[in-house]
Amino acid sequence: MTRPLLELICPAGSLPALKAAVDHGADGIYLGLKDNTNARNFSGLNFDTKTLAEGIRYAHAKGAKVLMALNTYPQPATLARWHAAIDTAAASGIDAAILADPGLMAYAVRHHPQLRLHLSVQGSATSYEAIEFYRERFGIQRAVLPRVLSLAQVENVITHTDVEIELFGFGGLCVMVEGRCLLSSYACGDSPNTFGACSPGHAVRWQQTPEGMETRLNGVLIDRYADHEKAGYPTLCKGRFAVGGETYYALEEPTSLNSLELLPDMARLGVAAIKIEGRQRSPAYVAQVTQVWRAAIDAVKRDAGRFKPHPAWMSALDKVSEGSMHTLGAYYRPWK
Amino acid sequence: MRLSLGPLLYYWSREDTLAFYRDALTWPVDIIHLGETVCSRRHLLRQADWLELAEAVAAAGRQAVLSTQALIESESDLKALRKLIGWAAQWREDGHPALLVEANEWGAARLLARAGVAFVAGPTLNVYNPDTLALLADMGARRWVPPVEMPRDMLMAMRASPAWPAGMQTELFAYGRLPLAYSARCFTARHYNLQKDDCQFRCLDHPDGLTLATREGEDFLALNGIQTQSARVMSLAHRCDELRAAGVDILRLSPQSRHGARVVAAFRALLDGTLTPAQAHDRLTRLMPAAPCDGYWLGDAGMAWLARTVAHDLTPTPEELTP
Amino acid sequence: MTPSTLLRALPRPPAPDALPPLLAAMVGRLPSRPPSMAFAAAANALAWPALRELDWSIARDRRFHVRVRDLGLSLYFGVRADGFYAVAGGRADVTFTASAADFARLALRLEDPDTLFFNRRLLIEGDTDLGLAVKNLLDGVELEVAAATLPAGLGRVLLRLRRLALETGAA
Repeated sequence: MTRPLLELICPAGSLPALKAAVDHGADGIYLGLKDNTNARNFSGLNFDTKTLAEGIRYAHAKGAKVLMALNTYPQPATLARWHAAIDTAAASGIDAAILADPGLMAYAVRHHPQLRLHLSVQGSATSYEAIEFYRERFGIQRAVLPRVLSLAQVENVITHTDVEIELFGFGGLCVMVEGRCLLSSYACGDSPNTFGACSPGHAVRWQQTPEGMETRLNGVLIDRYADHEKAGYPTLCKGRFAVGGETYYALEEPTSLNSLELLPDMARLGVAAIKIEGRQRSPAYVAQVTQVWRAAIDAVKRDAGRFKPHPAWMSALDKVSEGSMHTLGAYYRPWK
Repeated sequence: MRLSLGPLLYYWSREDTLAFYRDALTWPVDIIHLGETVCSRRHLLRQADWLELAEAVAAAGRQAVLSTQALIESESDLKALRKLIGWAAQWREDGHPALLVEANEWGAARLLARAGVAFVAGPTLNVYNPDTLALLADMGARRWVPPVEMPRDMLMAMRASPAWPAGMQTELFAYGRLPLAYSARCFTARHYNLQKDDCQFRCLDHPDGLTLATREGEDFLALNGIQTQSARVMSLAHRCDELRAAGVDILRLSPQSRHGARVVAAFRALLDGTLTPAQAHDRLTRLMPAAPCDGYWLGDAGMAWLARTVAHDLTPTPEELTP
Repeated sequence: MTPSTLLRALPRPPAPDALPPLLAAMVGRLPSRPPSMAFAAAANALAWPALRELDWSIARDRRFHVRVRDLGLSLYFGVRADGFYAVAGGRADVTFTASAADFARLALRLEDPDTLFFNRRLLIEGDTDLGLAVKNLLDGVELEVAAATLPAGLGRVLLRLRRLALETGAA
């Protein structure tokens, strides 16, 4: 069996987005159901059993895989919902389920031993010791790493485990370790771990005021933008705050991760898959980003030595980026 | 209920840290956590120092818990972790009683299970359901700390579940600035325009974290190196009866730079019944570095202050109602 | 009018607020009835066949406000099981503000709403959750399916227009 290398895994929050990803060259599409069993629980987004079935049919017909994210943390009062979601996933013919909670993995292994399991980024596994835990106990075959490790640290992980490693390549950037961030629930009561969304719509308010456009989360002022300033997602980590008398992006500027120029390194390390963030975004975004990354990955696979990021690729990606800026994130250090 | 002193989340000078624990040995707490959980660059106390402190804690008749780093990034982080677990295993073989290790990520839990060392499942393991807790119990967890965002109803539902592991002790974060997030980035270094790897240990200047306010001047978060905390101080003293009813065994008090003895004394008096919850809370508000919050406990925003909704025969003082 | 002339009417960034000649002409021909009623009628005739299958329960008794910044146009309407209907102006649950060209680009899926938001070309005020829900609902409509419901070849023209826009990089 050959190990996968640089599979392109693209997001879909709707059937048209899934088709856009498939049509533009995704090797796999990840999606979630319409409830808090996944970490993009936004109103109107995601799949029901009907669109799921059609999406899987469409993707499989064109040779693409479908992965289902069930990556929030099941809670005792509603445990049955997560179990039902696993059952749905297994029955639907998806190619893998992306899980974060060990208890839920135990359920999946017990009831659906044939279901391929991936460890979600929400599982916060940053070391091979943690990844090996999930492999030994539940036989996970792939782990998605939090966006906090440098490439050298990623290499160390890959060297010490047989589990396939998937890295985030592009999109919104969590500056905090995924699964270990409660900023959203501290301000509004709902966190990615339990509710399945950071800064859920019901708590977000945008308002144009004489001082600029204000973004609030449950009343907490995240930022205020002058007319010419680019805006970011209404997440607390991208806001401007006052620390020691200075007002600045105290945690992170509104930027997107773009690791495209590191593709040759990722190929050399044997990174199994590249994940594109953005299930909350529209089919237009999915099409644009998938197209660029398909071309780039193909170029690396043809000749990694001569690979150079095409300026047109970078500008196409910058255009859809949060804050219209990009960063190599933690992959390249030092960073401020 | 018992009292535990949580791991020191801040970076204090060696003298201040040792003085703190010297004092803490005389405080009426049952459990004392030791060790660095936030940042591997914080080195003023070496592992040998922590182990020495653990011996002192045990000699003082308290239970010592060695707490581990929540974010493991490098091979040297793993080396430190393995060494610490090796010590804990040795400690047990030497016949010492009751030294536990707190696992704050799943790699540590795996290593502890392999070494056969009983452990505490720390708050960043993200245990939100009884199935996951039962798994940890199988691996050797004797105690767990729920995620700080876990509300009372969820905790009670876990305890009521048939999957709840018998004998599992629940330790709840009951006092202190809430640890909310971890990053590869250092926000304290960032504030000073320094690289993380050349941070000049600026955390030393902020013994209770560096307060972050909104652009409207509302204190909101506290920066503590790679960790982000709440600016407000979570305090559940006024909900003591609810904690007991929910089956909480241990209250975790998170260290702060001043008034540690008085915070512990207020909780001790509360548990002994010599202070009412309202009185204890009234006393604590004067010892906190910032305003209180208790929203998470009722499933609300963590920063909310919902003392008014205490559901029984407390007689809240006016001070209690206006933080 | 051929698709290529239509295409030129879609301005390219960074001039989102320049008044597109085509749309200016269209607005000039709007009937004297309140624009909201004209909009509801046009939307019912052109768009509703593609949208009627969606679950509009989230929109029940909610009032939407679409503000076309460069045209100074404010459309107030609701959506129910039988289609769009105009409502009195002044108060809305959620307000979408963008230029005429950007609304057109969104409708043709040439642009991603988040991208426009980052660039301050799209503003959602009021009930954010309702705004996102509607956005996501519309994202769930397949463009080809929608185009097929349009009358008299208009759908084919729109799809061709979109393809041309993509090929020429106007997106």
